Amino acid sequence: MLRRLAVISALVVVAFADLPARSARRPRYGGTLRVEMGAAVASMNPDVTAATPEEAAAKMQMDALIFDHRDAEGAFAGTVGSGPFQVTSWEAGKRAVLTANEEFREGRPFVDEVEIVMGRGAHERLVDLELSKTDLAEIPPQDARRAAEQGVRVSVSPPDELLALVFVGLNPLRTPGSIASGNATGVAGGRAGGRPIARATAEVMGQTLSLAIDRVAIVNFILQKTGEPAGGLLPQWSSGTAFLFPAGAPTSAELERAKELSKEIAAAGPLVLGYDSADPLEQSVAERIVVNAKEAGMAVRAHALPDAGNSRSTGSQTGPVDARLVRWRMTSPLPRDAFKSMPLGDDTNTLTRLDAVPLPDPATPEDIYKQQRAVLNTFNVVPLVWLPQVYGLSARVRNWKAPGPGENWPLADVWLDAETPTGVQ
Amino acid sequence: MRVALHTILAGLFFGITPHGSYAQTTSTLPKSWNDAAAKLVDEVAAAMSPTSVTLDVENISSLDVSSAGSIAASVRAQLQRHSFSLVSENSAAVQTAVRLQLSLSESAAEYVWVMQILNDQQDGTAVPVMIVAAPKGDFADAGAEVQSLSLEKRFVWKQAERFLDFALLKEDTSAAEFTLLVLGTNRLTTYKPGGSPWQLSRTSPIPRATAPSRDPQGTINLKEGKISLQGLECVGDPDLAGVLQCNMSTPARILRDPFVDKPGYPISLGAFVSEKCRGELIALYTAESDWTQRDSIRGYLTKGIPLPFVASGNAIEFDGPVMSLQAEPATSAARAVVHNLKTGEYEAYIVTATCGN
Repeated sequence: MLRRLAVISALVVVAFADLPARSARRPRYGGTLRVEMGAAVASMNPDVTAATPEEAAAKMQMDALIFDHRDAEGAFAGTVGSGPFQVTSWEAGKRAVLTANEEFREGRPFVDEVEIVMGRGAHERLVDLELSKTDLAEIPPQDARRAAEQGVRVSVSPPDELLALVFVGLNPLRTPGSIASGNATGVAGGRAGGRPIARATAEVMGQTLSLAIDRVAIVNFILQKTGEPAGGLLPQWSSGTAFLFPAGAPTSAELERAKELSKEIAAAGPLVLGYDSADPLEQSVAERIVVNAKEAGMAVRAHALPDAGNSRSTGSQTGPVDARLVRWRMTSPLPRDAFKSMPLGDDTNTLTRLDAVPLPDPATPEDIYKQQRAVLNTFNVVPLVWLPQVYGLSARVRNWKAPGPGENWPLADVWLDAETPTGVQ
Repeated sequence: MRVALHTILAGLFFGITPHGSYAQTTSTLPKSWNDAAAKLVDEVAAAMSPTSVTLDVENISSLDVSSAGSIAASVRAQLQRHSFSLVSENSAAVQTAVRLQLSLSESAAEYVWVMQILNDQQDGTAVPVMIVAAPKGDFADAGAEVQSLSLEKRFVWKQAERFLDFALLKEDTSAAEFTLLVLGTNRLTTYKPGGSPWQLSRTSPIPRATAPSRDPQGTINLKEGKISLQGLECVGDPDLAGVLQCNMSTPARILRDPFVDKPGYPISLGAFVSEKCRGELIALYTAESDWTQRDSIRGYLTKGIPLPFVASGNAIEFDGPVMSLQAEPATSAARAVVHNLKTGEYEAYIVTATCGN
């Protein structure tokens, strides 16, 4: 009997060891992945320029699905349909259907189709996720907690988008004294009074705001803890040195120092802080900054910029503001590459005006730390918070990984756990 | 980093852990880490004269406690080498000592160690900061606690390009010379000892029998001297390290994969190893996660099929999904291919199950 058992066991071992390992979690092929996005892409033609940064970003995501590779400048190129999907239906700005490319070089995507509905507002996307009417949609970070409480599967990337206050249209010739006396001749397009703010004044204003702004409160209350206070220009997970740039709630000593500084710039009048009128997060943060500044004795007036998205992308004049809120998303997880890609050519970015020494290649963590320190010591840029990219997923989505900096939606890798959606149709 | 060949081979076949000692031994650090610690203290010595100092260490990286302790010990030794006097918190001299704060941090690419001289800024200047980088390595988690079934992983190989399976082919029974076979999605690559530590010997393209798959599967069967890959079976002349000849595999062969799920079994990748533990079969299974998550391998014991499985011993963790798990012939080990989500690379490990007392 024992001998028979031993023989059976041995046979079982041989049989199982020889066979390929099994798995019920192997990907499934088939199904339609339903995606909703806020932007409306007017054309997939590479020669047609996107009207807004949001449209450009959405177009880039779709390009990544239909083109196989990028050109030397990073834009997707090659034959349309050489990527994992091919466009089989297109309604400009409304809807696109992408079908799996059976001959894709890296293997056919798992899903048969991706149906993209464009121009859906944040609230509509959230409701559709709650009702399982869509499988994948971006969620504003400030809504992530609410979405999770409503039962939506939430996927959060590492924080990779910086929200910062940046001074614009500075006049390098003017000094705090000249603003107070009104002697200097400013150039048009700067502040509310028609004169650009002096760099030295901006520096004091920036330092005051840097000390007074409660970044922790912004994260806890406005962002509902979806994000991190930012003290540096790169997040801790990327640079490893962000902890050297304090970003905690202001201490009483820091508030006192801010009050002292605000007295030096009292004569300059209120700082006009611009924000994108279409961005509720920027509006809430701007209003919070007004309150924090007031606590430090500094006057700040929030000003909605109706065309902020466009001016950001084109570098055009920003209207009657001294500073504005800027959102900048990292393009690489590597600190040097990310830092290099900060929009140096954008007129809205103070880095344009820095005489910073170019980063060596390769750059050490110390090089990158010193460069950040040099930028921040000008106080022309005041980092506020790091935002993650937040996505809502339906229950059937598998193999989704929130894309990091420089990555695209991994829709070719996504598979669906059931043949049909389970939610309300 | 490719681990030294002879160290791996010795570890694989003579039971010596090849590089787990980096993380586990407090007295030994990799040379690059020792160099980084020395550079950091050199910079401290350049910034201030030797004096009494205290050293506070904060680990905000993914380094384990043991490694962090080893680095701190190395830094302390370097400070003493530079004639700094380390005083304890209980000593009266702590009042006059300069406070050094060592932060063990990490970036997306490497470890970042930061030293701040905290009370050296009476003149109002900023806190002096010294920063050095240290490379991230592969340090195995060795199961310290002896349990009924203990697992140990040994790193063998890694590369950026995806591969499906690997094998160590012993060339000559009288010599400790091995050939590393790495099965990619369209070729078999052979490495010989030498170089750092493996030297490319041969690349044998394998023709494509079917459309490319996003979930390709392939195995190296050393026992039968065959390679199975996407509907093909290949044999080598004189062995798999030689010239490959591939033919379409028979339908019966293809139909064997995958086999039916069995109730009570883990729903994940699994493999039975050849040896037993106290008469029970040993199975290794991954966690029930998808390809976007970290993964682990755990040992299970069963008195037979289809009797219940009982988890036994420690699970070993990986920084990404286990893409393939294949039993090694005639041992208690299995080959695991892991997609490291932190580095993006594919890694080969030998996972060995040891039956405890």
